[in-house]
Amino acid sequence: MAESTISTQPVPQVARKPGIFSGRDRAIKIFLAATVIPMVLYMAFWSLFPILWGFTLSLFEYSARRAGAGGFLGMGGANPYIGLQHYVNMLDFSEEAPKIVKQFHQSLKTTVLFAFLVVPLNMSITLPLAVMLDSIHRRLQPFFRTFFFLPIVTASVGVAIMWGFIFHPQLGLLNGILTAISGKMVAIQWLGDPHLKFLGIPVALLAVIAAYLWQDIGYNTLIFIAALQSIPQSLRDAAKVDGVNSLQMFWHVTIPLLRPTILLAAVLTMISAFQVFDIIQVMTNGGPQDQTRVLVIDIYYNAFRFQRMGWASAVSVVLFLLVLVISLIQTRLLRTEWEY
Amino acid sequence: MSTLARTAQPKPRIAWGRVLAYTILIPAALVAMTPFVWMILSSFKTAAEIHRMPPTFFPEMPTLDNYRTIFQDKDLPLAVFYKNSAIIAVANVVQVLFTSSLFGYIFAKFEFRGKQPIFWFILATMMIPMQVTMIPGYLILTKLHLLNKLIALIIPSAIDAFGIFLFRQFALSIPRELIEAARIDGASEFRIYRSIVLHQLKPALATFGMLTFMFNWNAYLWPLIVLTEKSKRTLPIILVWYTTKNSVQEHLTLAASVLVVLPILVVFLFSQKWIVRGITLTGIK
Repeated sequence: MAESTISTQPVPQVARKPGIFSGRDRAIKIFLAATVIPMVLYMAFWSLFPILWGFTLSLFEYSARRAGAGGFLGMGGANPYIGLQHYVNMLDFSEEAPKIVKQFHQSLKTTVLFAFLVVPLNMSITLPLAVMLDSIHRRLQPFFRTFFFLPIVTASVGVAIMWGFIFHPQLGLLNGILTAISGKMVAIQWLGDPHLKFLGIPVALLAVIAAYLWQDIGYNTLIFIAALQSIPQSLRDAAKVDGVNSLQMFWHVTIPLLRPTILLAAVLTMISAFQVFDIIQVMTNGGPQDQTRVLVIDIYYNAFRFQRMGWASAVSVVLFLLVLVISLIQTRLLRTEWEY
Repeated sequence: MSTLARTAQPKPRIAWGRVLAYTILIPAALVAMTPFVWMILSSFKTAAEIHRMPPTFFPEMPTLDNYRTIFQDKDLPLAVFYKNSAIIAVANVVQVLFTSSLFGYIFAKFEFRGKQPIFWFILATMMIPMQVTMIPGYLILTKLHLLNKLIALIIPSAIDAFGIFLFRQFALSIPRELIEAARIDGASEFRIYRSIVLHQLKPALATFGMLTFMFNWNAYLWPLIVLTEKSKRTLPIILVWYTTKNSVQEHLTLAASVLVVLPILVVFLFSQKWIVRGITLTGIK
């Protein structure tokens, strides 16, 4: 996934004196035609077409197994057009709602809960961490930075296996430590007991969040360190002359100056949290009792295990809308002027 | 610059903030490394020791048996999966660097009809989560009979919207005189791109190349959908497959994880500078 600040500066016009380089304009035209036309065709086929098809599929009762039953691209015939029926079904909150609708509700709820837990937890770890890493001796910074860099570049599948082992009920390190501390055998099913809750949040969800955070905090830490290093030293010196201590410096100087970066990082963290899949699929596969089932898991199983591609497309459109709303809020917030 | 400013402070008092930072950072770094260390240490334990409760931290009798079992496992030809992963990652790096730098340069330095709408479309595709195009993408690959072929993970990703956007930002700062001078010397447009523009974009190429490699090497969901035949799989998928198959043989699955995760970590460690620069520059995830 790649998001970024989308800036739209005017593109400087290429000032060429017409006529002086005869044949040059022609060469440029050929160059542009030979590169831009293939790119446009490529993007039309591999970008625009799948996007449009994805939205269209959500209006069909579509299964790839039945494809070829007639109609355009297998849509129609045995894969009938049903309009907005999938979206109407999503709004069925009654007790008799079909299982896939209930699973969708559960997934949406879990995804939002996941993202709204991950972002504040991430920020409250990465900001102090970045400030501390920025405050130590310059020569030691790369050394310490490496410890928080390594999890970022580890395959998330590897992260999930490691943490699954830590949370293992019999062999896991966590229960081992608890056993050592309490003096009696501890065998908590961190990832498998649906009745285990903490403040109403399933413990299995908290466990996957722990693994997710462990892998993810390096990103924002690096981004915040870079932002901290761009703060003019004169501002900090001025604060020091005024007798400000470290904590006051953090709250009243650093945080306000980093506000635009913090906002952007929070939004990007939230967007990628909405799309979480790898760690959860490997650690819990959405269980226990769908307590860690997130939208992408819901999409994956519906589309590729149960052949409900129309329904899965509708769910992916909901995911798109979630991302879109957050992105729009981001552009809104960042449009305000930010100046040191 | 900032170091100078700091050492120039008049009062040589104890920096309590710094002391506090070290007292928190050192344990935090240890905690951050614990999952790695425990996994590596556990991969040298015997099956009996792994399955003993409560778990040990350091292996009592370190052994290489687990690794030997894996290397002798005919079901798990790791070299094949390393090769699959490498082909996909390298091919993607090469093609994405080529298209991103070429089109980034074109969008930065040329005017042509339809330029603005095309650029806006490219920016707009970055807002669309991959999960929306995943299902149609799979259907297209099915229709083209490309499922279970490595090129299925190469062909559809030849153009990276984010890469074009990033390289355009870099290419904007290439001096126009440089390009015009080459034109006067009679260099062809492609030649200008190849010898002047690419040269100017070198830092961006290194940074974005590392990020693209890392992203492709670690990718899980899309390869999981496209490569269902075992011999075509990449390392992350095969690791999950192996772990599920041997779910009660943790001594083996941990050793397999070490073999899959660690070698590439060493590579990333040595290119840390470029990856860190890429992350701080782009906020890419």
